[in-house]
Order: sequence, then structure tokens, then C-alpha cells
Amino acid sequence: MITVVAGPCGAGKTTWILQELAQIPTPAVYVTPGVGSAPIDATRVQARCPQVEIFDHQSETELLQRLTAGVPAYFELGFQLETDIPLLATRPHRRVALVAEENQETSWQLWADTVIQGNPSTLDLQAAQLWRAPLSGQVFDSPSLDTFWQELTQGAYGEVHRAKGIFEQSDGQAFHLDFMNSLPGNAYTELNLPRCVQGRPNRFSGLEVVGQGLDEGAIAATLKDCYLSDSLLAAHQATLKDSVPLEVA
Amino acid sequence: MNIAVLSCIHSNLAALEAVLRDIDQQSVDQIYCLGDLVGYGPYPNEVVARIRELDIPTCQGCWDEDIVDGLNACDCSYPSLLAETRGHLAHEWTNREVTPETRAYLASLPLTLQQDNLCFVHGSPHSQHEYLLPDTSAFIALERVLATGADTLFCGHTHVPYVRNLENSHLTLTAVHPATPSPSHSPTPLSSLKRIINAGSVGEPRHGRPHATYVIYDTDSQQAQLREVEYDYTQTCAAIREKGLPAIFAWRLSQGLEYAEKADDPTHVCER
Amino acid sequence: MTHWAILSGINGNLSAYEAVLADLKRVRYQVEALYILGDLVGPHPHCETLVHRVRQPHRGELEPQVCLGWWEEQCFNLHGMGSDPEATELLKQAGPDGVEQLWKSVSRQTVQWLRSLDFGFFEFDCLLIHGSTVGCHDVLTPETPPMQLLDRLLRADANTLFCGRSGLTFHLQIPAGAVTSTVTTLDAPAQTMTQTVSDRQIVGVGSVGKEPGKATYTLYSPYTNAVSFRTVRYGNQGKGFGAI
Repeated sequence: MITVVAGPCGAGKTTWILQELAQIPTPAVYVTPGVGSAPIDATRVQARCPQVEIFDHQSETELLQRLTAGVPAYFELGFQLETDIPLLATRPHRRVALVAEENQETSWQLWADTVIQGNPSTLDLQAAQLWRAPLSGQVFDSPSLDTFWQELTQGAYGEVHRAKGIFEQSDGQAFHLDFMNSLPGNAYTELNLPRCVQGRPNRFSGLEVVGQGLDEGAIAATLKDCYLSDSLLAAHQATLKDSVPLEVA
Repeated sequence: MNIAVLSCIHSNLAALEAVLRDIDQQSVDQIYCLGDLVGYGPYPNEVVARIRELDIPTCQGCWDEDIVDGLNACDCSYPSLLAETRGHLAHEWTNREVTPETRAYLASLPLTLQQDNLCFVHGSPHSQHEYLLPDTSAFIALERVLATGADTLFCGHTHVPYVRNLENSHLTLTAVHPATPSPSHSPTPLSSLKRIINAGSVGEPRHGRPHATYVIYDTDSQQAQLREVEYDYTQTCAAIREKGLPAIFAWRLSQGLEYAEKADDPTHVCER
Repeated sequence: MTHWAILSGINGNLSAYEAVLADLKRVRYQVEALYILGDLVGPHPHCETLVHRVRQPHRGELEPQVCLGWWEEQCFNLHGMGSDPEATELLKQAGPDGVEQLWKSVSRQTVQWLRSLDFGFFEFDCLLIHGSTVGCHDVLTPETPPMQLLDRLLRADANTLFCGRSGLTFHLQIPAGAVTSTVTTLDAPAQTMTQTVSDRQIVGVGSVGKEPGKATYTLYSPYTNAVSFRTVRYGNQGKGFGAI
């Protein structure tokens, strides 16, 4: 079974797929076409469901093999993407749209086999800005990141509709931060990934912000002020080493 | 007698003027100020001139001290790297801006003021950098009042105003060694009512609204009135941007968030 | 039952330290840890030898855990690494001769090592420190106001505080205390709560080197919470360590 999931920005596509994957005990495939440099959703899926294979457009041959073998597959479409996928032209698939009632235009109804209630979106696609920052290798000072995230999501750098990111913290853990302006609060989830306690992490982390009137320069500059320098990182990691025997004892 | 107590003006002239106007409408006999006249905001010299013109008894805040002595707050007094970077930017800007006269005045400020059974400090009697928060241990809070010998301790520094009464206190201390002839095991009553009054912040509020806060205290009835004064903070926000201070300070002011956040560990006092 | 031996104020007095080590071999308890709560050094001609002895324990001896004290801070001041480069506090206490003697007693190399020492130790629910978390200069004695003693415990979130700055041996207990606090804020009506404390203690661990011929130190069992003090006579009392 192939499922293609689409919906407006912040509708809850990845969350819905994660719920589906949690109910599938067998191997499965997750495909996010076209987010090569900022695979935030894919990283989140991989951390939550390690048995799931992740694909983007780079590895089409292998993906075709899985599809032919009938492995359950979930395609997550970016909100800014076309909903046509050549790969699926000749394959039977189920189309799921996550759309809030107030966002239900006829185009979603026409495209989807199933429309599921998603988070409401007030994004004006014409005026929307999408800003991405790859942050791989950067480790954050946690209290600084908290301040930055508060400022970002409360509008200090322009109107933010949606923000999501994966951030490395000084304790060696990676976190997924998720903000959607139509939902209260922020989701803050520790990712089930190995702790990186030696040097800089060698895995993806990054930030994606969707909004209007974003002061991208200020966002980037503030992010930089939250990075741990090599020496600070080493000092944090030294204290982690000291505390490890205590934890064991 | 009614006294008005102001703290943490932080170079915000519009907020200070609004508070002074509010004081004019109350029957206030004397004004005191708990320091942090400068730092973060756009009008350090003007604020100092106004305080001097009105001859307001003032104690020295941690920002006033830093402008006099150079930045000697340790890194650990900032709760985050971001706050540290911003604090340094604000310090450097203020340091360039202040006149020798302003600096000399700030240097002349005492750490503590005492008037009858009232004591006035910036942070705590022990340090300008110590935060006395409403949820600081009641024993620690009481120790700070007892250390001054006064009944009521006025402080600022946290930027959120409150009144805290401390009463019915007792503590038993037993000497096991060297053994006292008859060790007392009964609780020793410590004192009658003691009080901490935090005056909040005139120029950099942190109670979630952008309005200035201060306190009026009636020394006869011993009643404290926490005052919140609305003013046109957009003037200060505009000046922050125009004068080259970090624009984020303007945003934080408009949200009622302190420019740099408060310390996580309020009792941490830098060793330097 | 195993114990901690807690020392302070050796002040460069090698004979006194040797006397305490010898005493430790005599005590009935097994001693599992040896703490030196600062003032390892001081204006004493044997300072360098003492530091070497502490850093290089003999076979079968415990490795001492040393933290900073008031005299270590004075060394930092003299070597331009401290918070009081004019050494005003030292001048006040020891005079110009004392300053000169300290300068001669502790080498720069030793000062570098002292710089690597901790400010204090936190083990189980015990803070082990020279003065208090307020600083090495903080003197706690049985005469210190009780609320101030409690403050020093609460600052560190410790049930037991071991300190050495006064040089005295003392053991004070705070079995109980309470304060009622009522807080009023702009946005919330008055809220009253009563805070209590119980079963805290403060121990002055004595001084090994301060008084010639007489060293005092502390034994503590973290398992039974028992505190005992040891007094060791040495040198002129004919224990064979010679006069200072």
C-alpha cells in the first residue's frame, strides 16, 4: 500500500504518518521528495521509527524495488510542492489530505481520496517566506536556544507561521522543536538518537521557518550567538564524562 | 509618611518621567531609588541627570557598578551565552555613551541606604548581583532582612515587584560540641514581622507587560502599594533602534520581557 | 564502618600533617576518604615539602582530596591571579612580613597546581568547603547567628556542611525551624505558606597546623552520620617529630 500525504503548511502531515507507522509492525518506507538539504521530518521519522527506511529522490532505484515488493510506503509532500509524482503515475496509491475545515478548498477535495482534519493554517502562500538553515555540527547553549525560540515564535523576527527544527544540545542529545501558530505552545521532543559526547555531532540538524516579513539576517545572527564554541563544547563534554561514572554507580 | 521606591530604570527616560508624574499625583513625601540607572536603554545621561536634579537618595546597582569599574561580572552571572553577548553589547554602548560626570556620580553611590527601620539595596544586602525572588527560600529571605538590622528591606534587581511578609519564624540550634551547659532544644523565636518589598522595574519590566512598575510605602500603616504605570514605551523602542542598540531590546521591552533574561540560580554570587 | 577524615588549616605545617597521618593509622575505623578543606599552604618554611607529601602519598596511604582555602587565595593574589591583586586582606591579617614569608614559602609552580583545585566538594548530602559557598573568607563559628548558618546550608542545598575557616572544632545541629511567608504580587492575591527545615548540621573540622604541637581534625561516617573530633599532640610532646 502506497499512501501519499499532502496538506497545508503545519497541518500535521509528519505527525499523522508517525501515528500510522506506529501501527505497522513490518518494515516500511518513508519518502520526502525535494527537501534534500533540510530533512527535518525524515530525521524525526528515523529517530522515532528506526525500522523505517527513508528515501528522497536520490535513490530512486532502491525505492522502486521496495515499491515493487509491496513494502508499505508513505510519501510526504511539502506544502509548496506539486502533488503530481511521476513515480506514482502508474502505481495504485491512496491520497490523504490533512486539511482543517476552514482551509478546505475544492482543490484538496478533488485531489484526495480521504480528507482528514488537520491543523488550521492562516498562511498566505503569496506572501509566505520559507527560510532554512542547516545547523549540522552546531551544538547549542540550551538556555540561549530557549530564548531564541521564544523570540522567534513570538514574533521578534517577523510573523512566524510555522517553525520546526532539530537542534543538538550540550548534553549530547538532539531535540525536535515544533511550533505552529494555530496551536498552543511548543512541542519539544527529545529524539531517540545516540548521545554525542565526543566532539561535534556528525548528523543532520537544522531549522525551517515559514512566515511573513521575516528578518532572516537577524534570525541567522541570533542563532550564531547561541552556538557553543569548541572550547565551551569541550568543557561541557568534560563534565559529562565526569558525571557518567556517577550515573553508573 | 509615604515613600516611593523606584528601581532598575535602565536608561529609559520616558518610563522614568511617567513614574515621576504618577508620584506627583500621590501624596509622596520622599523618593528612594535602588540603582541600575543605566544599562540597556538609550538615555543613561538623561536619566542620571533627572535623578540628581530631584536629589533622590540612590544606591548603586550592578549595572552602575559595571559602568564604573568595567565589566567585572563573571560569565556565570549571565544565564545564557545569548544574554551574555547582548549584555556585553549593551555595556559597550553605555560605556561609550556616558559622560565623565555621569560616571563619577554612579561611582559615588552607596551600596546600601538605611532610614530608621527601613533598608534599601539593589539586589540583596550581600551583593548587588543576588536575586531575591518571591520564591527564594523563606529562610534565606529572612536572613537577608536580619543581616541589615532593619524590619523592612527594599530591593529591586529581579524586575518583578512583590511584597513578602516573613513572620512566626523560629529556629532551634543545638551545640553538640563544644557542649553548652544546658543545650536548648526548644525553638527560639527569631523576630516579629519582617518584610521584603521588591520595587520592580521602572524601565525594563519583566512581569509580562511593558508598563513601568514601582512601589509606594506608608511608613505609618506599613502598607505597600505596588504601582503599574502605562506610558508610551514606543518612544523608548524607537530610540533603542535609532541610537544603535540591538533591535531585539526594543522588541523585548514591548513584550514586557527583560532585555537579557534573569539568572537561573538566584543565589549564585560571583566569586570575582 | 568506614569514615571520612576531614582536615583543614595545615598551613604548610608538615610535622602536624605527619602526626595526623600517623594518627589515622591508629584509629579504630577504616578511613575511606581523606579531605583537606583548604589552607593547605601558608607562610611556613616546610610548605613546598608538605605540598609534595600531599601530592605524592606513600604506598597504602589515601590520595587526599584538596580544595581551596583562604591562604591559597592569598597566593593567587600575590601571583596576580586573584581577585585582590593588592593583597589588602592578606596585608591586614599577616602584615608585610607575612606577605613576604608567604611569597617565599610557595613557589609559582605550586601556585599553578593550587589553581587546579576545586572550590569545595559535594558528597551525598554533605558540602565540604573551606569557608562556605559565599567564599573562602567566610568564617562560621558557634557564635555565628543561627539564620546565617542555615543560610550557608540552604545556599548549597546540603544537610551537612563541613568547614574549616575558623580553625575551631564544633558540631552544631539545627533540629527544626519554620518561617511563614506571605507573598503579594501585581497579578496574584496574597499567598501564605510555611516553610520548615529539619535535621541539618554544621561542623567545624578543626585545624591541623594552626596551633603548634596540637592538631585537630574530624572523622565522619556518612553512613551513620556520626561526627567525632580527634586531637593529636606532636613535636614537643615527645612524639618524635621534632620541634617546628
